[in-house]
Amino acid sequence: MPDSQTIESATTALATRTPQPDTKTRRYDRQLRLWAASGQAALESARVLVISGSATSTSILKNLVLPGIGHFTILDHERVSPADAGNNFFLEGQSSVGKFRAEEAVRLLRELNDGVEGKADTRIIEQVLDNDPAFITSFSLVIAHNLNENTVARIAKLLWEDETYPSFVVVRSSGFLAEFSIQFHEHTVIESHSETAPTLRIDKPFPALLEYANSLDFTNMDPTEHSHIPYVVILVRVLEDWKKSHNGAAPKTYEEKKEFKKTITAMKVKVDEENFDEAEAQAYRCWTESSVPSEIAALFQDPKAFSAASSSSSTSPFFALLAALRAFTVQHDPPQVLPLSATLPDMKSNTVNYVHLQTLYKKRAEEEKAQFKKYLALSGGAGIDDALIDSFVKNAHALKLLRGRQWTSVHSSAETLGNSMAMNSKHVSTHLALASLSSLQAKQADTKVTTEALTAEAATLLPSGLELPEEWDEAAGEIARSPNADLPNMAALLGGLVAQEVIKMITKQYVPINGYCVVDLIEMWTGVVG
Amino acid sequence: MAPSHYSSGARTTHAEAILGPELNARLGDTKVLLVGAGGIGCELLKNIVLTGFGHITLLDLDTIDLSNLNRQFLFRKKDVKQSKAMVAAQTAAAFNPNVHIHPIHGNIKEPQFDISWFQSFDIVLNALDNLDARRHVNKMCMAAGVPLVESGTAGYLGQVEPLLKDRTECFDCVPKPTPKSFPVCTIRSTPSQPIHCIVWSKSYLLGQLFGEDEDATGELDDAEKEGENAQEIATLRKEAQAFNSVRQALRTPGAPDAAKLAFQKVFNSDIRNLLSMGDMWKSRSPPTVLDFDAIMDGSFSLQRSTAGPSNVNGNNAANGVASVNGAVVSGSKKTEQLLNGHGHANASMSSASSLKDQKRLSLRDSLDLFVSSTNRLAARLQAGEETISFDKDDDDTLDFVTAASNLRSAAYGIEDKTRWEIKEMAGNIIPAIATTNAIISGLIVLQALHLLRQSYTHLRNVHIQYKPTVPLSSTSLAPPNAACAVCRDTYSVLLCDPARARLGEVVEGLLGGSGREVSVYEEKRILSDPDFDDNNESTLESLNVGQGRFLTIVDEEGEYGTIGVAIGALPPNHPIDAPPFILPDPLPKPARKATPPPPATPPPAAGLKRSAPHDDDGIEEVEPSAKRTKTATDTETPSAPSNPFAAPLSSPSKRRRLEEDGLVLMEDKHDKLEDEDVIEID
Repeated sequence: MPDSQTIESATTALATRTPQPDTKTRRYDRQLRLWAASGQAALESARVLVISGSATSTSILKNLVLPGIGHFTILDHERVSPADAGNNFFLEGQSSVGKFRAEEAVRLLRELNDGVEGKADTRIIEQVLDNDPAFITSFSLVIAHNLNENTVARIAKLLWEDETYPSFVVVRSSGFLAEFSIQFHEHTVIESHSETAPTLRIDKPFPALLEYANSLDFTNMDPTEHSHIPYVVILVRVLEDWKKSHNGAAPKTYEEKKEFKKTITAMKVKVDEENFDEAEAQAYRCWTESSVPSEIAALFQDPKAFSAASSSSSTSPFFALLAALRAFTVQHDPPQVLPLSATLPDMKSNTVNYVHLQTLYKKRAEEEKAQFKKYLALSGGAGIDDALIDSFVKNAHALKLLRGRQWTSVHSSAETLGNSMAMNSKHVSTHLALASLSSLQAKQADTKVTTEALTAEAATLLPSGLELPEEWDEAAGEIARSPNADLPNMAALLGGLVAQEVIKMITKQYVPINGYCVVDLIEMWTGVVG
Repeated sequence: MAPSHYSSGARTTHAEAILGPELNARLGDTKVLLVGAGGIGCELLKNIVLTGFGHITLLDLDTIDLSNLNRQFLFRKKDVKQSKAMVAAQTAAAFNPNVHIHPIHGNIKEPQFDISWFQSFDIVLNALDNLDARRHVNKMCMAAGVPLVESGTAGYLGQVEPLLKDRTECFDCVPKPTPKSFPVCTIRSTPSQPIHCIVWSKSYLLGQLFGEDEDATGELDDAEKEGENAQEIATLRKEAQAFNSVRQALRTPGAPDAAKLAFQKVFNSDIRNLLSMGDMWKSRSPPTVLDFDAIMDGSFSLQRSTAGPSNVNGNNAANGVASVNGAVVSGSKKTEQLLNGHGHANASMSSASSLKDQKRLSLRDSLDLFVSSTNRLAARLQAGEETISFDKDDDDTLDFVTAASNLRSAAYGIEDKTRWEIKEMAGNIIPAIATTNAIISGLIVLQALHLLRQSYTHLRNVHIQYKPTVPLSSTSLAPPNAACAVCRDTYSVLLCDPARARLGEVVEGLLGGSGREVSVYEEKRILSDPDFDDNNESTLESLNVGQGRFLTIVDEEGEYGTIGVAIGALPPNHPIDAPPFILPDPLPKPARKATPPPPATPPPAAGLKRSAPHDDDGIEEVEPSAKRTKTATDTETPSAPSNPFAAPLSSPSKRRRLEEDGLVLMEDKHDKLEDEDVIEID
């Protein structure tokens, strides 16, 4: 079976009774467990253009070809030099010298995965920009490594012209220092894999949960049973009792909170009842109001969410879903909460009680999702498939909407740069030093790179009102020492870092870097400017 | 770092900049041991070849699987089933004619890879995927004094740490999360989660039917000692003995319905027997007896609803998985988080439900799969395979475990799992991608160069994390943990002929006639102590202390540090009439301790399988520790050990005598016998 078949067609084509997967699923098993079939499908429909066949470029590509990107093209008119042959694993040593770099690299990269389409293009990038810009905009993502800065600016400008044009990854490296940034128009993430958990709504319990908590007779309960009541239920009950004696209000002051916790401890019938210890530790949930997180509330204000709500045919499912979510938070009872999550954290309990609680949450979550779907139908999302709706509702507390900016050699906001300098001036120094190098070399390719020349260049690049950062001399000195070295190990590491972010962009899972990611391999740190 | 001149693009510029010209010139003579040719190993091999290391020994015991090809880029489809080490070496060597790669298809724990072998390398790079091998290499490097770079990845997360004896923490300075184990009765008679049924199918049933004809009552004996329900255990004993006829049928060509016979035993009569113990089912719902023919003809119905999910660990399935086999990827907190279920995509895999092995199986599907996989496995036995054990990449065994665990889940009213999920849980699968391995491998080379140059201030622990603002976080290294039972020992080498050298004379020689009172261990086995000298006249070989192993000599009063003595082979020219061992010169001089040490960190729990090869030779398993620790803990709150037999309470020999009298020693008054009826969800 050819690897180029899509996973769905490969697996549904053979309707056998055995559940064994086909060779393609086997090949991608370890990554499918990370980004699922939806991520894999996105990867397989992506077309990537890489400009230059440097060691860094082929390292990035290696990490995209292995997991099965749909298509890649290397655009490079240079021929393989002896230096290339020594540091680029995707050339065939001396036998490649004198041949087109793009052709040699594509041939060897394609050997990694016969399901991936690869093409070499030996035209000169500037001529393509002049004569065939549609070629560049036909890809889904463009990557440039150590390209002439004027050319980078031209590509960035071209790709910024239209919202539907591909994202643009700009990579610079020099010896042990490197940076990369991604120019994108808008990037939405549903599966952000956030580490924050959604609320359990203990402060606003749904009727079935409240009823369950109220039905328990803690005083006359079997002691074993008593020590296996999940903390969620204990808290709902204690809060309910508290409110009855406090005019319906949750604990507010420090004293009240202390007293509330004491009430919980006093309920223990044995000292070692860990479920009550958990309840005490989690008591803050009673006075932390379950509401729409501020980041999500901010998304509701996005103009696109408004236009989705008023039109019946939305261009992006994300905004239709977002409009429905806003409607839900306004009109649902209780108001100002996101649809309930069916996922419970682990807690001290026995199986019976835990499963019962889980069933209550599941049932309620299903009901709220059904409500959500009604609002969705009204905001132009009638055709959205259930799997996407499930995923959206499940991740509603951690949705991300990133808006990018047009690439500039140095971050264009004086304020952002100033803040970054105050926080970590090494990051800004390195960013600025790499930009100065590009700028110098764009003026004259064979210019002699000295610390003085870099310093003079940096002064012209810095937004007015800012001075060179403290660690400037070290960063500039490091660049002046080895301005053009494309070191194999740095290429390998940078190839991993860049490809990782490219995959996040393509799969729309996890949150990609936004800004200039700076890498210092001597001290082994990374940071983000912007 | 000294500035140096780059000849742009030359192969060794990179290393030269870090190492300086002199050391760089020696890079061609540097000897590297690379342990593992998998995801990290392939990347790393490429990097060190490009960096200019001249002598690389590459060791891996594994063969290439199709699922490796999404990241292990030195392999092609045509290489599947070949040795990883051999193919990787071939592919990478072609790139640099000056490099000597010595591939070894073998296990790093084999005895010939002893301390002198480790000492022949300038640096060791770990590219491993399991805790056991990591701990082993760490100990060998600490004993040999060879710098080690340790690494691990899990999905988008990863970490690198340089380790050097006496200068940094070693791998075991920070206790690693111990593998989760389940009470025997939970697995064998009262499962409540899918993982219990999976462990039962994989580690028990598969072995009973297709494994060695072993007496499976040993773990029941242990369970009884630990206080699990005696009546239940008696039933389980009978059950285990009744496997013989099924085993016979499976091995007899042409025997009809061997699969049905197996089914009837475990899903029908065994469950019937359990049901007859009324007491067991007073506080929990009883299992349902499955009926082969009724499932086949569609007339079978489970008496109770299994609709409600009973996966007690909820979203935490990966937790159970990560630990069942003890293969925890690394000690990184971040990685642990991933292993604990923060990072997996399967929770959000709804769109993947169309994948064939992610389809839910009906009861009938599971039965069909049980029959077909049992027949396939039986055919393999009949074709000459002696024993079959679980391998996640062996479809027959995976199908069998999938079918058997789902049938058992159905009987117990537990949620079913897809083959895809079961593969992950039973096979301990951790997501792995090319990008993370590339980043980690780049970092390993940098750490290695700093270690070789002894520029220790540049060493860092580096983690790849999710935070989009700080993709890599690096921290300075911590000094060794003073209480570490691995790197705080004083190591020495004893060259000997284990067939002739006797324990008593060897220990006496090593102590240099100081007359100190000591206990002597090999791993967790006690060989002698002041009250127990039965083995002193035994040869090391008869005590199974051969090449590649260590004698651990613990001061009885806790006054001196522990000595670790690596056993090596005598030189070939050793005179035949000379003593059968050569003492190290100088003799090991353990440091005198200012204060008695705290109790040693407990070893990883033994899990379900017994690991001790020596039940009957007067040797037992305890953790090496000084007797004195008991007095030290008298006034403090002792940390509760997970294994009551690992207690440093009294001399092991006394303990053994008491146990023979049927007594179980408790650690202290706070300890309880395990109450396996309580399921704790944490």
